Formats: sequence, C-alpha cells, structure tokens
Amino acid sequence: MSSLEDDIRALVSKIIKIPEDKIAPDANLFYDLGVDSLLGVEILASLDKKYGLDVPEEKLRSISTLNDITALTRELLEKKKG
Amino acid sequence: MAEDRIATSDYWRRLLRLDEDGEEDALGKFRYPHRFLRPLFRVFFFFLCRFYFRLKVKGRENLPKKHPYIVAPNHCSAMDYPLVAFAMGPASRDLYVLATKFFYDFPLARFFMKIAANVQRIDIVDDFLPGLRVAAKILRKGKSIYINPEGTRSESGNLLPFRPGVGMLAAELNVPVVPVYIHGALEALPAGAPFPRPGNIEVNFGKPLLMDDYLPKLRSGNAYYVYREISEELKNRVQQLKNNY
Repeated sequence: MSSLEDDIRALVSKIIKIPEDKIAPDANLFYDLGVDSLLGVEILASLDKKYGLDVPEEKLRSISTLNDITALTRELLEKKKG
Repeated sequence: MAEDRIATSDYWRRLLRLDEDGEEDALGKFRYPHRFLRPLFRVFFFFLCRFYFRLKVKGRENLPKKHPYIVAPNHCSAMDYPLVAFAMGPASRDLYVLATKFFYDFPLARFFMKIAANVQRIDIVDDFLPGLRVAAKILRKGKSIYINPEGTRSESGNLLPFRPGVGMLAAELNVPVVPVYIHGALEALPAGAPFPRPGNIEVNFGKPLLMDDYLPKLRSGNAYYVYREISEELKNRVQQLKNNY
C-alpha cells in the first residue's frame, strides 16, 4: 500500500510532467522545477478530484513544495473525516 | 488525454468568475484624479519619443479596429508601456495595464504611472488570480489590456518564456492578442539605469492572434495546454518580429 506521500508525488509528477524521482520533497516547485502558477492551480484541482477535497483558493499561496502539498492534503483529509 | 483533464475550461471560468455578473463599475478604480494630467504627459512624451528616442512605429494597422483585445509586447525596460501606448495612438485611451507591486509600491513611480496610464496594482507572484480577474473584468467591459507575457524584464533582450495566463484570458474571453516587439528600449533604459539614454526605438505591431482555432480545443482537451499553446504561439510571433532586427 502506497503512502500519501507517494500518491501525491505520483499525482504532481503526472501534472508537471517531471519524473517522480526528480521531485525532491523540499524542492520549490515554482522556482526549482519551473512550475507556473496555473499548474499550481491544476495541482489543487487534482487534489479535489482524487480525494474529494474542496481546497480553498488562498491555500495556493502556501504550497510551494511536495511536503507542503502532502501536509495540506493530510490536514484537509482529517478535517473532512472529523 | 481525457484522464489528464483536471482543470477544465469550466473550472478556470469559475476561478476567473466569468459566469458571474460583472461589477457595475469595474473600471471605477481607474478613475483617479491623476488622469487629468494625462494630456500634459502625452505632450511631454510626444517630444521625448520624437526627438530623444526617434521613435518609429510599424504595423499600427494591425491593431483590431474595435476593443477589446490584449496587447502583448516583449519586456526589456520600465518604459515599455508608455512606448507602446504612445505608438498605439488614440486606441490607447481604452488600454488598461496592471502593474506589479515591484514598481507600483514606489510612491513616485506610482504617481507617474497613474498619470501615464489606466493602471492598478497586482501581485503576480504570490496572488495572481485576483490580477487575472481584474484583467477579465476589464476585457468584459469592452476595454483592452496591456500584458507583458514574460512576467518580468529580460536583461539580455532575449525573449523569456511566455506565461500561460495571457493564453487563458485570450481563450476564455475570446479576444485577439496583438504581438508587439519593442526594439531599442533595452539599450535606452536597461534595468538599474536611473534615466533613459537617447536612442533609436521602434515599436512593431504584428498581426493579431485570433482564438478561432483554439476554442474547439478548449472543449476537447486539457485547458491548461491550450492556454500554453496560445502563449507559445504568441512568443513565436514576437520572436518573428524580433528576427527582423
């Protein structure tokens, strides 16, 4: 069973079209990997689609690394459960 | 491909709030008192362009006869906007521009910007969606928008990648985009130079990029890649204008 981190990495890799092993957990997606702001929105939309999360738009500002996205997903999943 | 469709055109339209009724007075924020000094600025800038920069304008006939449209030049200097607006002639009265906080937050720069242009502040780095929404509102009001698709000045003069936001606005609002190449502005006012040097500047307007070919793709493909395709085609067209020099 894959961890949430692995799932998020696969999802982000598919969207930004960069191999999973090239995405370090703390690499800045926008500055280090050249992701543009619209792709950032695509990532949030994909969390919505995969996990049924309604990600607030202002969260876009707080996600710049894979670790950020994983932490945000975890937080929103826990909120959803609870 | 269908699996890759995450943020559809409808999704982006919701984010831009395109299907909501527009604000009654979306242009009200641009009616600041500084604009009464604009005719004076135009006279000053006319002499500056005519004698100091020996400005030449090419392809002005390529500007669409009616607003709205997007004007998308290369970006090398802090005076790109006034040069393009001046080169557009009377059509520039309905041209609006969104300035990055980097410039707008300097009080003196803001003061002169407000005299020279219909301008508002945006934060394209940390909070780009509100900027895109303001641009969309302006276009929906039948006015045109000036956008630097590179997002920042090129210090070498080579074109930087064009960001997909310009493609999104053009496609979702179905407005033409006019590619523009400004030649000589980098030499006249490079980044860090306090005052412009005399020089030979040319503003060259290309034929507008129409959205007819892209709209069907928006419905069948991933919207993001359509936006990017538009931005890349726009960059190609600016590059073609640049290759003439």
